[in-house]
Amino acid sequence: MSAEMANEIKLISGRSHPDLSDKIAKRLGIEVARTISLNYSNQETSFTVGESVRDEDVFIIQSTATGDVNEGLMELLIIISACRTASARRITAVIPNFPYARQDKKDKSRAPISARLVANMLQTAGANHIVTVDLHASQIQGFFSVPVDNLYAEPSFLRYIRENFNPEDCVIVSPDAGGAKRATSIADHLNTAFALIHKERPRPNVVGRMVLVGNVEDKVAILVDDMADTCGTLVKAASVLKENGAKSVLALVTHGILSGSAIETLNGSVLSALVVTNTVPLGDKVERCPKLRVIDISPTIAEAIRRTHNGESVSYLFTHAPV
Amino acid sequence: MVRNIVILGGNSHPKLVESVCAVLGIPQCNRVLGKFECGESRCEIKDSVRGKDVYIIQTGFGGNGAKLNDHFMDLCIMISACKTGSARRVTAVLPLFPYSRQPDLPYNKAGAPLFKAPSENGKKEYTFESVPATPGPGQPKSATLSNGANGADITSRLLKTSLANGNGPQSPPATSKVNGDTYFANGVNGHHHSDSTSSQGLFTKHDYENLSLVSAFQAKPGYKHWVAQAGTLVANLLTCAGADHVITMDLHDPQVQGFFDVPVDNLYGRPLLKRYIMQNIPNYKDAVIISPDAGGAKRATAIADSLGVDFALIHKVDSSGHLLERRPTKITERQNASMMLVGNVADRVCILIDDIVDTGNTITRAAKLLKKEGASKIYALVTHGVFSGDAINRINASALDKIVVTNSVPQHEHKALFGARLDVLDISPIFAEAIRRVHHGESISVLFNYD
Repeated sequence: MSAEMANEIKLISGRSHPDLSDKIAKRLGIEVARTISLNYSNQETSFTVGESVRDEDVFIIQSTATGDVNEGLMELLIIISACRTASARRITAVIPNFPYARQDKKDKSRAPISARLVANMLQTAGANHIVTVDLHASQIQGFFSVPVDNLYAEPSFLRYIRENFNPEDCVIVSPDAGGAKRATSIADHLNTAFALIHKERPRPNVVGRMVLVGNVEDKVAILVDDMADTCGTLVKAASVLKENGAKSVLALVTHGILSGSAIETLNGSVLSALVVTNTVPLGDKVERCPKLRVIDISPTIAEAIRRTHNGESVSYLFTHAPV
Repeated sequence: MVRNIVILGGNSHPKLVESVCAVLGIPQCNRVLGKFECGESRCEIKDSVRGKDVYIIQTGFGGNGAKLNDHFMDLCIMISACKTGSARRVTAVLPLFPYSRQPDLPYNKAGAPLFKAPSENGKKEYTFESVPATPGPGQPKSATLSNGANGADITSRLLKTSLANGNGPQSPPATSKVNGDTYFANGVNGHHHSDSTSSQGLFTKHDYENLSLVSAFQAKPGYKHWVAQAGTLVANLLTCAGADHVITMDLHDPQVQGFFDVPVDNLYGRPLLKRYIMQNIPNYKDAVIISPDAGGAKRATAIADSLGVDFALIHKVDSSGHLLERRPTKITERQNASMMLVGNVADRVCILIDDIVDTGNTITRAAKLLKKEGASKIYALVTHGVFSGDAINRINASALDKIVVTNSVPQHEHKALFGARLDVLDISPIFAEAIRRVHHGESISVLFNYD
């Protein structure tokens, strides 16, 4: 018994999303490890460990707070490296919203493939395993030579739709061609219609002309995407859907990054609701935006941690959301 | 004019990049470097780097609208972008190496290491884990218990257990409270980090952003908490991003060079400081070179030897006998009592030499001590002038007559606040020359000892 007990889950929380860490810890019935991260006055990050992680199964939860991505990333790397030097048996970085996931290809000359850099950095620091949610491109898993568990928010979204709408009245809409796969998967599970918006994007963060492919007339149009950043795409897509006769439009998005003036854009839009998971810390955005609804993703992450620790399969979570 | 060389500047120190380029006589590489609204760094390199020898200049300093970690990530991204852009060789030029100096123990505002007893209000945080966290054989490890409604009752009982179990290899923090001052008297022997000090030491190397957090933090009973050292990590991250070579200056610990698998050229600011002494300090032959702590003695003696000037050393006394016989009454007395001057400075010009001034605690305290010992004028010559926290106010209020730093980090804002008290030495010729020599495959050792 004692040999097994020696290897326990140690949950370490970075500074970016303590709320999620607490929820996961509560779900697992354990406490977050006693650690503290701070910045010195010269802005270097300092991480203090207050309990032993020797031979433990360490899970480090660090999301990326909007606007402070690099801070969070460096903190995560320092925590990983600290745990490795402290003889942790295995170090799993739980990064609900993988940073730099959109910089995943060399789309022009000398463009950095920052996602691969982040992957390499995590491994260099000493991560043995990565758990994340809805990677922007699942190919990012290939940047790693350690296992990556890419969890899906899809089961939670399916439940949300089933609980709040009659699937027959709904059309699942992908706001761009890249997200078609994600949206069709939800449409298939719900057995509903599917539509797609084609867009031209002249520059990053700028939305061009949009064309709807499919029929949304007198239906509840549900936009599905993996991240909502400035929300320009979503809002523009929503008005296109409204123009094409949709009864109402809502959006289901995994990562609510909501940077810049996203909240103002949302408040002034025809979207009836934006449903996000709590992979990204939302701060006061819920108060500032009455259209914002939050699905708690912590049961899925907690269950993935439990299963990873016990050496059980995680694939059940790809289709089922723990209650 | 140097060919096939690309100088790429980060956002941390644009002026240094400009002057290095001016010395080399080449234009800067065109690039876009900024942040997306979500906070991710954005980097586009406009000029071709294929087959080129790329030098990326980024200093370890937070400022210019971004934080230190942003600048470091920018650097890694630029290195990686050049690597994927088929650069022949990428050299990271870090005038001030980030994370090169991290203290072993966390400090609070007053500077006392946080190994003292947990305060009364902290007891509620105790859990069932009251045994030392490294259990011996056969010792059961209790499961964690979340604090319920009767938490206070349980914790008060647990505290007793933790005290009873306290005679382990390291006495748990709870017992030190009971011993109070005698803990230091007995405990200092087992505690001899050069930077760490007892409560009489009161040295702050860093100020924290959020002090209430620091003082509220407690390790598990029986576990001595420690601070992660990021130096190796930073070295590994640079190599992992693709740096083939690193050029830096006056590393706080020269051992950091050993963290790298790639060549590291550690340039010295010493020649600059030496030249300053010879040109700007009248009768420097009669001055005394002082090292404000034992760790910097080598740096200071090197300058003293080559100038043929006397040398003195200040060292921090943690456990000297007379301190404990006579309890210091005033806080100032206490602070100075913990520093000891070895050498004579009465009626002489003192030149403090150090590698980095951050919060300015070390040199201002040293200056105070020197003044007390009768120094006529005090200069401080420091390679890296970070001046974080309340450093500028502290130095302006101190006995220092002059502070001299290099522009390894941007100094124009500091200069405005210090006025004539601050002199800035330009390091761009040294870096330009190092870049030129590295590019042409010439020896750079001449840069280590020119006069």
